[in-house]
Amino acid sequence: MNNIKIITEHWGKINPLKIEDYVSVGGYEALKEFIEKSDSEGALKEVKLSRLSGRGGAGFLTGVKWEMVSAQKGEKYFVCNLDESEPGTYKDRLIAENNPHLLLEGLVLSALTIGAKKSYIYLNGNYEKAKEVLARAILQAQERKFLGTKILSSKYSLEIEIFSGAGAYICGEETALLSSIEGNRGEPKMRPPYPTECGLFGKPTVVNNAETIASIPWIIQNGGKKYLKCATKLFVLGGSVKNMGVFEAPIATTIDEAITKLGGGMQDGKEFWFAQVGGASGGIYLEKELGGPILGSGAILVVDRTADIYDLLLSWTGFFRRESCGKCVPCREGTFRLHEIAERLVDGEIADRDKEALNDILWTLENTTFCPLGKFAATAVRNAIDKLGILK
Amino acid sequence: MQIKINNKKYAAKVGETIFQVCMREGIKIPTLCGAKYSHEGLCRVCVVENSGRLITSCNTKVCKDMDLVTESEKISKARRINLELLWADHAGKCATCKKNRLCDLQKLAEEYRIENFHFVPRRGEMTSSEEQKLLRDNWSRVVVENENPCISRNSEFCVECRRCINICPEQKFGFNHRAGDVVVGTPYEKVLDCSFCGKCVEACPVAALTDQNDFSKIIKDLDDLKKFSVAVIDLEMDGKISEQLKNISHEQNFEKIFFDLGFEKIIKLEEKERNEEDEIIKNIRTEYARKEKIDPKNICTFFISSKIYKKVRKNEYLDYVLSEREVVRLVRDRGNIVAGKMKIKA
Repeated sequence: MNNIKIITEHWGKINPLKIEDYVSVGGYEALKEFIEKSDSEGALKEVKLSRLSGRGGAGFLTGVKWEMVSAQKGEKYFVCNLDESEPGTYKDRLIAENNPHLLLEGLVLSALTIGAKKSYIYLNGNYEKAKEVLARAILQAQERKFLGTKILSSKYSLEIEIFSGAGAYICGEETALLSSIEGNRGEPKMRPPYPTECGLFGKPTVVNNAETIASIPWIIQNGGKKYLKCATKLFVLGGSVKNMGVFEAPIATTIDEAITKLGGGMQDGKEFWFAQVGGASGGIYLEKELGGPILGSGAILVVDRTADIYDLLLSWTGFFRRESCGKCVPCREGTFRLHEIAERLVDGEIADRDKEALNDILWTLENTTFCPLGKFAATAVRNAIDKLGILK
Repeated sequence: MQIKINNKKYAAKVGETIFQVCMREGIKIPTLCGAKYSHEGLCRVCVVENSGRLITSCNTKVCKDMDLVTESEKISKARRINLELLWADHAGKCATCKKNRLCDLQKLAEEYRIENFHFVPRRGEMTSSEEQKLLRDNWSRVVVENENPCISRNSEFCVECRRCINICPEQKFGFNHRAGDVVVGTPYEKVLDCSFCGKCVEACPVAALTDQNDFSKIIKDLDDLKKFSVAVIDLEMDGKISEQLKNISHEQNFEKIFFDLGFEKIIKLEEKERNEEDEIIKNIRTEYARKEKIDPKNICTFFISSKIYKKVRKNEYLDYVLSEREVVRLVRDRGNIVAGKMKIKA
């Protein structure tokens, strides 16, 4: 494992409330380089070369997304998705709290590359501290001309606005997020048209995860080819590992490596049972399946044998029952009934009728829901039935 | 362009949805939320199969060389489960429901044989504490509002199809809360206050939005031998009534229908009298009563019209306003009564 840190390099070493600290460690150099030596075409080329993929979970290639929008003329928007609400995931919050200027620099670079003049940071409503830190950082950056009109006396200008959501999980889905900024109910919209064609206020819009954006300054400074070799990702470890928290490691890290090397192995006296990768919407991996890469948001929940699986099941179904937006039938009614069944399952036994109903609900969630939330709601429960055999 | 539906080739225009093509070609696809009201794809009942994948037909546009299947085991499984999920959250009081036999959900439930509350266990299958919790969860979210003069709202029947939200010209309705707690309602659950155009009642597939009226009083007045009931029928009502009526009766003779209901006199508005109904209704109690020597107190005037906002303006001359839906409901409720008032009187 190489030890290059792209995002977490200065965490804890600099004061997030002071822009001087960030500038003193080479901050905003990438922006200066962009304005003095490069242009949006050059930057787009580097990002495409880097093969940087979306860090929010879906993993769409950032360069491809940007190209679609930058090719279009007229008003555009760039939105930073900081509505992280996956249970057990808090990497984006730490990015905003520990080094807000890295995020801002990445945001300015990204927005200028695609040609947007207005950018939003969609912040989870529960992130009070991050909101304060970011708001202060924006003011400081404006004072130093890294933001606002005529950035560093160039032709570029950009306005950044923090939009605080209400903490809804569904608003992490990009079309729901855009609806929310527009002032509508946070509900996913039909795709196509994709936000890259008809997004915020009907204009082409790029929505990127905060972690993706925070990688941009490094790519601009060091080049896309170099990034391709040493791309990193933030992983969030939780559960029965020795070291819990956020770690930056190469993107190809396997689940096993993350648990043993980053997490320091299992806590003393605990026996590994399974790992859930990707938050509440992630799949379950048994010991023999840990060789694969870490998918989704990068959260790993390590569960040991002492855990009560039925309790966990109740927590998962409760989460989706609460966070479904209520738009389409299978998700609204299905997650509700799923939670009811999980409540009856707490002692490990349910009636035959419930077993049949459970299979029907999982099937309809997997096959007929409007947006991916419905599929996510079924993943963990389906895996628990297939791999852990929770139905006796 | 050409697309394939159920192994047959059909022509389709760019920009058309699968649902539109199927409707034009006479291929039946069930839907609760869509058709002429919206293309949101909420009910997930209109699903069709496109190379093995389920897609909603109401909001998916046709593409070149699409190969669609509109009926298969997978499709009917999806429709059945989604309808059953709705049915499990529905009041299911069909026998006494205002919309009985006129209800879209009921029709689909019959078609896909939704017989029981599949997702709600029976009494013997759970403990008493589970049962209490289930009852609390399932019925705690019901909103009933009968305070406004024209539209009766009861979310117990609501299937959250959003037809009313999409059709309301004044945007009075919206979703309140989220997930399983979603209730279609007014902002802050205030009493509905609008111009009462009645479009939402017309659109509602179930009995969540119905016409406000005191039915027992109407039936009492119609059956009262002393009372002389006069119906003033608005323009374009024939078509509207027969459209609804075909669900429950084959009778096409309107005069017979109204006389059977217990009306003594029918006045049909003519084109030249458009919007002059107030004048005509006033004449019944005054001139007509004098001419026919009937005590005005014993006259009962009904205005049969889609203009349900007239209910707000009931006065000394006008006793009741009945929409086409209420007429059909009266016919349905009295369908089994062979003898109407006419015969009793005779």
